This record gives sequence, structure tokens and C-alpha cells, in this order.
Amino acid sequence: MAAKKENEISIKNVDVQYGEPVGVVAAQSMGEPSTQMVLRTFHSAGIATTISSGLPRVIELVDARKKQASPTMIVPLDPKIKKNYDAVKKLAKKFQEVRIKDVILKHIENLKESKLELVLSKSKMEDNMLTEDQIIEKLTKKFSGISIEKKSNHLIISQKKAKDIHSTRIAFVHIMDFQLSGIKGINKAVIMQNDDESFYIFTSGSNISEAMQLEGVLSESIYSTDPFDVLKSYGVEAARNAIAYELKNTMQHEGVKVDFRHMGLIADSMTLTGTIIGVGRHGLAGTKASVFARAAYEETVKHFVNASIFGESDPLKGVSENVLIGKQIHVGTGLVKLAIKKEDLKKIKAEE
Amino acid sequence: MQAEIIDNIKFTTLSPDTIKKMSVAKLIVADTYNEDGYPIDGGLMDQRLGVIDPGLKCKTCGGRAKSCMGHFGHIELVRPVIHPEFARFIYMLLQSTCEKCNRVMLSKELADDVKLALKEINLNADEQKEELLFNDIVKKLKTLKKCPYCGTEQHKRKFERPTFFYLNGETIKPDTIRDWLENIPDEDLISIGIDPKATRPEWLILSVLLVPPVNVRPSITLESGERSEDDLTHKLVEIMRINERLSQDIDAGAPQIIIDDLWELLQYHVTTYFNNETPGVPVARHRSTKPLKTLAQRLKGKEGRLRYNLSGKRVNFSARSVISSDASLTINQVGVPMKIASVMTIPLYVTKWNIEAAKKFIMNPDYPKALNVISKSGIRKRVTETNREDLVASLEPGDIVERQLMDNDIVLFNRQPTLHRLSIMAHRVKVMPGKTFRIQVSAAYPYNADYDGDEMNLHVPQTLEAQAEAIYMMQPKNLMLSARHGQPVFYAEEDEIAGLYFITKGDTYYTKDEAALMLSYIGIFDLPEESENGLYNGKSIISMLFPKDFNFTGNNLKGPVVIKNGKLIEGILDSKMIGEKGSTLISKLFIDYGPDFIERFILNLTKLSLRAVYKRGLTVSVKDYLVTNEMINERERIIKEVEDKANKIIEGYNDRTLDALPGYTRKQTMTTLLFAQLSEARDIAGKYLNKTMNTTNNAFLLASIGARGSIMNVIQMSMLLGQQSVRGKRPSRGYSGRVLPYFRKNDKDPRAKGFVTSCFFEGLTPTDFFEHAMGARDSAATKSLVTAVSGYMYRRLVNAMMDFYISDDKSVRGSGMELIQPIYGGDGVDPMYVNVESDK
Repeated sequence: MAAKKENEISIKNVDVQYGEPVGVVAAQSMGEPSTQMVLRTFHSAGIATTISSGLPRVIELVDARKKQASPTMIVPLDPKIKKNYDAVKKLAKKFQEVRIKDVILKHIENLKESKLELVLSKSKMEDNMLTEDQIIEKLTKKFSGISIEKKSNHLIISQKKAKDIHSTRIAFVHIMDFQLSGIKGINKAVIMQNDDESFYIFTSGSNISEAMQLEGVLSESIYSTDPFDVLKSYGVEAARNAIAYELKNTMQHEGVKVDFRHMGLIADSMTLTGTIIGVGRHGLAGTKASVFARAAYEETVKHFVNASIFGESDPLKGVSENVLIGKQIHVGTGLVKLAIKKEDLKKIKAEE
Repeated sequence: MQAEIIDNIKFTTLSPDTIKKMSVAKLIVADTYNEDGYPIDGGLMDQRLGVIDPGLKCKTCGGRAKSCMGHFGHIELVRPVIHPEFARFIYMLLQSTCEKCNRVMLSKELADDVKLALKEINLNADEQKEELLFNDIVKKLKTLKKCPYCGTEQHKRKFERPTFFYLNGETIKPDTIRDWLENIPDEDLISIGIDPKATRPEWLILSVLLVPPVNVRPSITLESGERSEDDLTHKLVEIMRINERLSQDIDAGAPQIIIDDLWELLQYHVTTYFNNETPGVPVARHRSTKPLKTLAQRLKGKEGRLRYNLSGKRVNFSARSVISSDASLTINQVGVPMKIASVMTIPLYVTKWNIEAAKKFIMNPDYPKALNVISKSGIRKRVTETNREDLVASLEPGDIVERQLMDNDIVLFNRQPTLHRLSIMAHRVKVMPGKTFRIQVSAAYPYNADYDGDEMNLHVPQTLEAQAEAIYMMQPKNLMLSARHGQPVFYAEEDEIAGLYFITKGDTYYTKDEAALMLSYIGIFDLPEESENGLYNGKSIISMLFPKDFNFTGNNLKGPVVIKNGKLIEGILDSKMIGEKGSTLISKLFIDYGPDFIERFILNLTKLSLRAVYKRGLTVSVKDYLVTNEMINERERIIKEVEDKANKIIEGYNDRTLDALPGYTRKQTMTTLLFAQLSEARDIAGKYLNKTMNTTNNAFLLASIGARGSIMNVIQMSMLLGQQSVRGKRPSRGYSGRVLPYFRKNDKDPRAKGFVTSCFFEGLTPTDFFEHAMGARDSAATKSLVTAVSGYMYRRLVNAMMDFYISDDKSVRGSGMELIQPIYGGDGVDPMYVNVESDK
């Protein structure tokens, strides 16, 4: 019958083997299915922003881009308020960045007389829990060179000292862009509901360090999709997890099965130095110890030239350089050496 | 085998003295060959530099074209020129040294700081950091106004690409720069991290130019008998020509301006000789306007020396052919055409134990015979009719006999693109008639191959170590589980799934003859348990494949599957059970019964299931897609339903009752909602078909068991194509305000924006056809883009992580022993075996 030895259990050892080139396997596990992924970022209706996904997201993470396309935060709330919708709503307002241009109906720039007229919107101000006086106070505190006149719901801002048109215009742009309340970089905060009917806040834009200072926020467990933000507030171990989980989520979203160990390894190697470095030319691959490995990767001539100036020597320890010079590589079966006992060798010789 | 082991390779620059010592000839004639086609003495093809013509002898070593590896020569430049690749470095040195006393302008305090930093770098042997440190120092020094040593006021240095330097607005010529650099003391260089033994800065101003051997730049003889020189030779000829003219002009006392012009020209030629892509320099070209490939271009990029010739090489003992499928092979085998097997060889290392067998191969006049015999001393002799006896007589242990490929030899099989390690696997040879490579039908998945003309490569490992590695680590039967996710990569597909469905669906009975025949094809000569009606149920036939003690429960697409004591009790084996949608059954069998069992099992499964399909017959016909009146009505209903909803959204937008979704404007909200709403039409149609169709419709049947196609194919064939998408949105561009000229401007009808309501069976209307083509074009274009983008990401990932390996304590280490992970993956479990319930 079919099985040679019935009841034989073939796989007993599930441990990873000595010398296994886990780096290459991890890279292949991410690289091979990446051809099947979509290039477009997804627009999912219902959530605050477009959430970048697919291949561009993977590349963004693996490259360690400082400016992410669409970072988001998931902010869990204090158990005291998390079931109270009104309290949560109030808190959410504190997140959302409000600038002058968000609370006005229209503005009139008079560059000749260097005057800026703002028509404030009552409803918009109320929406963001601001009053005219607050706005005036904040503006005068920030901009010293201006005087503000109040006429019903109009604010007329004029420069104290006359300046040329160009700098006046720049000053006006700054005023229009002035942040009145909220957290910098957060342009939307939406209230979402858990399965247990408690609420949490979902934001577009990420700024953990300021978000954790707001009252009612569980400051130790904010989730952010921006690894650099996580690094800044929670440290490198958390950043490592952020990268790994974001990779996992992206792959899962694409319906591609990849074991978490592979993504963990990528994240671990990216955070090896205590900060986040990308895998590319300016990151891991570009800072290898071996001159040959770097030269074979990218910017060949530059690496050779610099190596000669500083008298660098290539230790020939890695894979790439040993392939180049034709030596056995130091991973996998190339790692093990054969040993034979002296007496055994003598025995063999004697037999012959 | 490694005779000598290179420990490390140090990079330095060549001093003029070294160049002269290396050189065997000073070249003086700016020409290559004379009229007779003979190399000119002192020319660029001087015979002292080695020879490439088969008839000539090298004048330095006496070797012939094949044995002489070539020797360097040199050109003495009458005026020094700057090495373009080091120009930026020279500039940095000029900035950080005093213009009068030429010392590095490090003040006492700064020098101490730098010393400390350097000490640390040397301690860690991290030479790359030296570069960063040097950059930092230069940044500080270039702002200094006065030299801390001699107090001279410093003027602004300026560098203009590629090789021009200015001091206080005035040009400084290379000879002045050389004097300046020469004056920098060794200690000062050491203090800023430069190794004067490796590089003295004045060496970077070239007064002697090293000329590579002739072998490096061989000339080609064209069919017409004309000689065509290498790009490097061309460049060198030009350098020598200008050099000669410059020397003559200087001797003749020509005006300075002419000399300067020539000097600059010489600099240009040297610059392009090193790198023809130097920014700010016009590219040197052939007469055909093709840019010259000079030194940097030879090394650089994908087609450069490093990546094309050193990281990857062409190999012998390889073959390539078209692949086709063969259901009678195991996944572990590869069918090799006789034609290939009789040309490719495998070495037989002669020992006292196999010498007789080796002799037999040599004596055999036909396949399988020996093609070559390599004696102990390394002399290769072809086996011919005439020398056969002599070779046998002189054969002794230690010789190597190269014999033809035979059944059960181990070979590597590969399909490009080689995206993961399963793209190269080791198969056992099965020599066959025909001209194509044959592989088991199920073996195509890991290679990502199909049989529509795909070609694959075959390599014969030549050493015993390589063969052992292939046997133990690369055979498909051992690689059943993917290292990516731990699930099987070999499973039943298409016809096999269909066949298994027919066998296992429960009401299939075979007569005794039929059952016996089917089982005999897979080498089983027992009959399964008889059913009550005297026939044999398909389920009991398939149960013959399972071990007697095999127990399994799982879920297929429709419901539970139960196997008890090797008998399929309940359920159908569909693609979720044993195919691409999750082959849990195969995984379980592999884990419990091992590679050899699974190899047989897959073969038997294939044979049996295909036999079942042959028996029943299966075809998809026009009938399956026939559009009935009922379907037409339903389609109209669906279209109306979806369009009504869509119109409501548009209305809502127009009368401002539609609220914006958070984060969107109202208009964006409308477009997203419309797109989602209209895309739903297909889903509704799918639900309808699922309800009304049954397994008498073969197209629907194949889709529902996961054998081939999907319900979407049926929808698009007989219902409607649905909403098309271009760049993730509804088509919107083309003409102003409309997609095609056949619509009115700003038409609100969904059909004017890619909602295709006709189906393939009835044919598309012209507008539908174009809208569909827009969507198709978009997805085709994106696909080609994804491959390029993902390919580059893949390359970067591999380059970053290829040095990582598992150390003896299960930690992950890099090439310099740096710790990446203390225990691999946190638990030290191989991802290949994540689905295995281990004993621990």
C-alpha cells in the first residue's frame, strides 16, 4: 500500500537550521509575491483619508521614508470616557488641527495698504470651540508686527511697519496658515466604535508626542502607522514592531500570505542601529562593511574611489564579495567545514 | 576547492613610481598597427604589453595569445592632469590646507577631538566612518580665515566641474596643485584620517598614465578584414596624440594660450578615458555617435563587470528547452529528451570500487556511453572508436570518466525569473523521446510555469558535494512546504480538481471492471470495499490512496470533510481541500507520512483523477453561457436597480442632501459612492447566478469547485460586464466633459462613464466596447509597471539582507557577526514548519 512506513512521522524538528540564509529567504518571501500586488493606493470609503496600501506602502516602509504618504493614528481612550460619546467628541476636536483659514468665510487681501481682512464664520468657530477673542489673543501672541482691529465679525489685520509687497504677502500667508488649536499634522480626527461599543479616535496624520499629552488618551498605547513617529515617542523597539506590523497589515490586505518572521527580520535589520534605516543605497545595502558588496550594488565607481583614498580593506566576509571573487560563501552549507580525526585519516591511508 | 585563501583585499591608489615599476614599456607612438597589420613598437599594441594575434609571441614573457595574461605599459604626460574621479577629494584637501604653508589647518583643540574620533574608528575597524569624519572636518576647516600655523590669510577656493580649480578667483593649474598637495606632511594627512601609504594626494594628479594590457582592450577583426579597435584603445590613441602635440608645441616655444588649450584638451581626453559620463563634460563618441565605453562604464551597472561578469557567470553543463506536462512523472522527476541526455555529461569519479562500471561505459558504443576520460593529470581525452581499448587499459582510480546523463541522475531545473528558491529545484532525470523537458503537471506552480511555450533551464551538478546538496536539500518532495508561509506548493489543479470532484461527489459508482482498471493504472491491484448495489463508490476508490491509519477532518468550500482510518467518509475533495485555495490535506499527509509518500500520493492522485475525467468527459460549451429570457429580465432588473440607486446619489448631490463622508468633499463623496454602487451590479448578478445555476452547467460547476475560472467569467459572459475602472475610478477622460464623442457633454447616465451593460455572449455595443477596452488597457499598463517597481524593491531587499544567517545559537547574524535577532523569529521555528504541530 501507499505509505512505506505507516505511522512514521517525518517532521519532528521544526527548528530553523544552522546556517539557514534567513535574510535571503525573508527578502524572497516579500519580493516574490510583490509582483502580484497592486500599485495603486486604495480609497476606502468611510474612513477619514485615503490609506496608502499595496506595493507603494511596502516600498515606503522598507525605504524608511521620513515623509509618509498618509500616516494615521489609532488613539485608545481612557476607560472613564471611552463610552461617553460627547466626551469623546470633545476630545476629538482637540486633535484636529484648526488654522485661520478653517474658521473664516472669506478673506480679502489688500497688499497696497498691507491689510488683511478676515470674515470669521460663527458656526465654524463654534464647531472648533473657539471665540473671536481667543483668536485675536493667539494671533497677537504669535505675530508681533501686526495690529488687529475688530469690526463685527470682521478682523482687519494690518502690518505695524510698512513692508514691501513680497514680505507682506508672505506674512499674510503665514497668518492664514496659523494654527489656532489642535495637534500639528493632524488634519482629521474621526470617532470610531469598537465591538464592545466603546469609542476610539482615528486620525489622519500622526503626532504621538502631542497626542499623548491630551487628557483622556491612553498615552502608552497609541498606534501609529508612521514608524518615525513611533520611534520618537516610544523608542526603537516599538518602532521595530510598528514596521513589522505595518508590513504584515499591508501584505494581509493584499491577500498575500507571508509568515510574520520574515517581516520581523526585515524590521529588526532596519532598526539594528538604534534608529530606522532603509534597505536601499543610503541604508542597509549602502553601508555594508565590504567595498565589493557596496560596489556591486550601486554607485560602483564612487565606492572604489573612496575606498582607495582612505585605504579601506575588504574583509571578504559577506555573500556578495565572495561570489565576486569566487570563494565559497559563508552561509548555508558554505558555513560548515568538514573535520576528520587524525587517527581515522591514518586508518584510511593504511587501508590504501 | 580553494587552493589559496584570500583573507582581505586592500584598496589604494597608484603612485607614479609604482606605475613605472609596473610598466614594461613606455609608449611613445600614438598608433596601433602598421600597414602590414603588425603591432608598432612603442605603440599602443606594443608586443611587450602582450599579444592577441595567435601567431605572435609576447616580448615580455614569451607566451602566446592564450598563455600570456598581458602586461601594463605607461604614457608619460608632458603636463600633469587631474584624475577626474578624485577631483572632489582634491578640492576638499585644498579647502582644508593652508594656501601658503600647505599644512592641514587643524587647530590644537580640534586636532585632539579628531584624534579621539579616529582612535575609536580604528578600534572598530570601521573605515567607512573615516569618510564621514573627513567630510565633517573639511566642513569646519573651509570656513577658517587664517592658518593656525603660519597665520596666512586664506582666500576662497572654488571648484568647477569637472576639473577646474580657482584660488581667489584665479585658475590654479594641475602642476601648481600638485606642488601644493606634495607639500602636505604625512602626519597631517594621518590626523584627518587619510592613509598616506594608500594615497598620497599628489598621486591623484596624473603625470604618468597606466596603460592596460592589450588583452584588456583587444581589437576585433571584422569580416571585411578590417581591424576595429576597442573603445579604450581609441581613447588612449587620442590621449597620446594630444600629448605628442603638446610636447612639440612646448619645445617649439608656442604661445602660452595654445599650450593651455592643448593642456585642457589633454585633460578632457583623460577625463573621458576614466569616465565618459562625468557630469559637465561632453560625451566622447564614435563616428557613429555611439558613446564610448570607457573604464567606469565597464564596471558600472547591470551590464558592467561587477554585476554581469563577476556576480553572475555563464555556465557549462546546462541545457534549455520548452517544457510540457506529463502526468506519469512524479513531481520529483524531469523528463529529459534523449538528444540532450546524450550530449550532457556527468563525471564518474573512478575508484577501485567502480572501475569496472566505468570501463563498461567507455566500452559501450551506444547510449549510455562515456564521452570523455580525464586522467589524473588533468588531460581530457575524447572517447572514440579507435582509442576505446587504450583508454580502458590505462584507466585507474583517480581518473574521471564523463558519461552521458542517465535515469535517476540528479539535475537542477530552473525557470526564470528566478524569484524565489523554489524556482530552482533538483529533479531526477527520466530520459525520454521527444524534444521538450517534461515535468509533472503539479510541479509547475513553484516555478510559476505553464505549458504554453515556457522554456526552462537544466543544469548538471558536477561535483559530489553539489550533487549531495541537491539531493538532500533541493528535491521537490522535500520542499513540499513553502518557506514563505508553510503551506504546500504542490497541489492538484484544474482537471485534477474536476476529476476528484467526480470521484468523490458521492453518487458516482464504478463497475468492478472500471474500478479495477482505474486502480491498476496507479499500481494498486486490490479492490476497495464493495457498496450495497454491487458497485464501487468513488469515495472508496479514492480512499485506496490514503494510509490505513490516516485520520483527518477539515472543511472544503461547501462543508466538512472527514477521513477516518484511511477512508473518505464525508465530503468532496475540492480546491480548498487539495488545491490552490488551501491544500490542508496535502500538508497533513506530508507532515505525517513524509516526502516519499507524498511523491507517490501526488502521482497517484493525478493519474486517478485524470482517469476519472477521461471517463466522464468534461467540456465547457456555448450552452453553458446561453442567455435565457429569464436572465435578460434579471439583468434589466439589476441594471435598473443599480442605476436608480446611482441616480439617487446624483440627485442627492444636486439638491445638497448628500452629506460628505469624513475627509472628503461632497463631489468626491459622490464619485466614490457612485463607483461603489455601480460596481455592485456584478455582485448582484453573481448572487443571482449562484441561486439559479446548478452543476449541470459545466462552466458554473468548474468555478464552484475551484477547478477553473470563476463565477465572474459566467457573469461577464451571460449577464453584464459591469462597471469599468481606469486608475481606480470611473473612466472620465478623453473628450471635454465626456468619455467618448457618442455621449452628450456632462451626461449623468452611468453608461456614459464606463458602466457596461452588455455581455460577451450577446456582444458589446460600440460604446461599451471602447469603455471596456479602456479598462483593459489600464490594467495591462499597470501590470507592466508593477513588475519594474517590485523588481527593484526586491533587489534592494536581497542586497540588504543576503548576509544574514542562523548562527549556532539560533541567533540571526550578519556578515560581521553583528546580532540581528537573538533568536530567530522570537521562537527559532522555521517558517516552513509553522503549521506543524511539534512535539514540544
